[in-house]
Amino acid sequence: MRKTWTIIRLQLKGFFKSPGSIVLMFVLPVLFSLIFGGMVANSEENKPLVNIVAKQDENSTRIVELLKKNNHFEWKKVSFAQAKKNVAEQDAIAAVVIPTKIQQRMIDKSPLFDIIVQRKTEDYLALYPHLQGTAELIAASYQAVGIQGEELFPKLLEAVASNQGIKVEQQLLQADDSTQTSINLMIVGFAIMFMMFGLSGAASTILDERIGGTWGRLMVSPASKLQISLGYLLSYFLMGWIQFAVLMAVMNILFDTTWGNLAYLIPFASLVILTVVGFGLMIAGLVKTKQQASAISAVLIVSTCMLGGVYWPIDFVPELMQKLALAVPQSWVMSGFKEIISGSLHVETLLKDTLALLGFSCLFFFIGLRGIKFE
Amino acid sequence: MNMLTVGELRKSFGVIAAVNGVSFAVEKGESFGLLGPNGAGKSTIINMITGLFPPTSGAVHMKDIDVIKNTKQAQKLIGVVPQEIALYQSMSARENLKFWGRMYDLSGSTLEKSVDEVLEIIGLTERAKDKVETFSGGMKRRVNIGAAILHRPELLIMDEPTVGIDPQSRNHILETVKRLNSEGMTIIYTSHYMEEVEYLCERIGIIDHGELIALGTLHELRETIGDHSKIVLSLDNKTSNHEIIPQTLTGHFLEKDIQLNDNQLIIFHKDPQFILSDLIQSVTSTGTKVTSVDIIEPNLESVFLHLTGRSLRD
Repeated sequence: MRKTWTIIRLQLKGFFKSPGSIVLMFVLPVLFSLIFGGMVANSEENKPLVNIVAKQDENSTRIVELLKKNNHFEWKKVSFAQAKKNVAEQDAIAAVVIPTKIQQRMIDKSPLFDIIVQRKTEDYLALYPHLQGTAELIAASYQAVGIQGEELFPKLLEAVASNQGIKVEQQLLQADDSTQTSINLMIVGFAIMFMMFGLSGAASTILDERIGGTWGRLMVSPASKLQISLGYLLSYFLMGWIQFAVLMAVMNILFDTTWGNLAYLIPFASLVILTVVGFGLMIAGLVKTKQQASAISAVLIVSTCMLGGVYWPIDFVPELMQKLALAVPQSWVMSGFKEIISGSLHVETLLKDTLALLGFSCLFFFIGLRGIKFE
Repeated sequence: MNMLTVGELRKSFGVIAAVNGVSFAVEKGESFGLLGPNGAGKSTIINMITGLFPPTSGAVHMKDIDVIKNTKQAQKLIGVVPQEIALYQSMSARENLKFWGRMYDLSGSTLEKSVDEVLEIIGLTERAKDKVETFSGGMKRRVNIGAAILHRPELLIMDEPTVGIDPQSRNHILETVKRLNSEGMTIIYTSHYMEEVEYLCERIGIIDHGELIALGTLHELRETIGDHSKIVLSLDNKTSNHEIIPQTLTGHFLEKDIQLNDNQLIIFHKDPQFILSDLIQSVTSTGTKVTSVDIIEPNLESVFLHLTGRSLRD
């Protein structure tokens, strides 16, 4: 164990003496998190504006209340002319026109709302399901009272609008935490990406050592292959944990970030770091020089991070891409962290993420250790 | 008592036989040289002896330890100076020595004492705290040796330890090796510099194309070429009848001792001083002018040339 510890100390000393490593592992993730985390927080303050054109009658008032249940958007009641102008000038992403004779539309089974929209932006695409859902809710309420009970309809709408129903309540709860969770996940994402760069760079020092002769010298020393391998791998693992712990602390100070249940976070983060170490080892085992390792790492890390939902939520991408994402570890990493950090912990999902990452780790270590020449 | 016994050692890389049936033994306290041109297979032999990679076939015994089966046990008794400067460049000489000492199970005050002693031996006590990357090539080579002797190995294997360094550092290294050997350390020294091997080694093995083509003391090896000196006559290139010279000399010398290469006539003879005037007379009688004469005493270079028909540095 003493020899292993000697190697760990050597590697950590070399790592912390290198300004490049410090920048890559600590400065850049913090910087990226500050910039992009700030943007996310800011974007939450500037919610997209949706105009509502509605009369002052009772039904319209209740429908407006229903629409305003979604607080991802800023809802503003304006005149029809003003709404058209706002949409044309892109001050509002869309305008929802609630027709006067809404009951007639329900009888005719024609569209419930008129939407004025200039461009189908991402924000509009996010708004549309809410409008659709609200329309379906109104239609269902109308059907419930029947034509005979038309006078009951506004009362039912009032009851629905004031109802803290499960569906709406759930959205509200998530809305309160979602920004913080997004920022936290973004921080985790950047930490993972830079950890992948840092640790794959560190692992590829084995290639330099092979060329330089120190690897060969270690091999002819009385230290066993196990002691040497453990020394290197544990040092990379510790580097990863030091980075993660520092980022957790810094982000806690800067963003008041909460990291969920530590009893889940610590083992899961350890597995993630182990996977990243395995990834670095695999790269080092597949190539011959550190230059090749850098080039291949850069391509693999950036592309798999894109695919795996490190830069943006994976729900935003087409279904095919979501399925492809399952083939990269980052998607499981982000999914697991989301479960832990958001607090909505589904043990089954976390277990699935954990098993997937274990599989990736085994694969990476198998390829890496086969590729590393102990000669 | 043999410190090292190598038997029928073979190593193939695919279809290429890098080492082909090499056998030799090194006695305790002996200084043994492996001489051969670059690519002859010296480093491959060393790597198998040190347990870096296993042989395709054959046996290596360090005292009574089977190196192939009990590699780690044997490695405790061996110090290896690799051909590369296998040091951590961004660390100081002392840090490097301490690291390698720990790899050989040294610790605490024993390690500190050993590091101080080694720094003294390699003459770098004053520069101990300086980073290796700031050292000259010769100083780095000295630290490279230091890292191999910290644990006072019974067998020190040095693979071309003086490549690319200045004469002063080379002398320092050679003196260090002499001193270690005189203190009882068994040395295996590989080089393609014959002067170093001649100076340091009691017995020498000559390696070429993965085979041990000669083995013995310097005197014994010289004997294989009859202890002949080499007489080199440079001929005037304006005269064109050089081809007839060997025929003229066949009455006085054996055909195998006469070589004509362009404008150089090479004769091998035991007593060059006695035949030199007759030789020059015979050559000039053919109408050829002799522009210079060199007499080279027999050495490992001429042994190698004699055995392989090639120069060591070819």
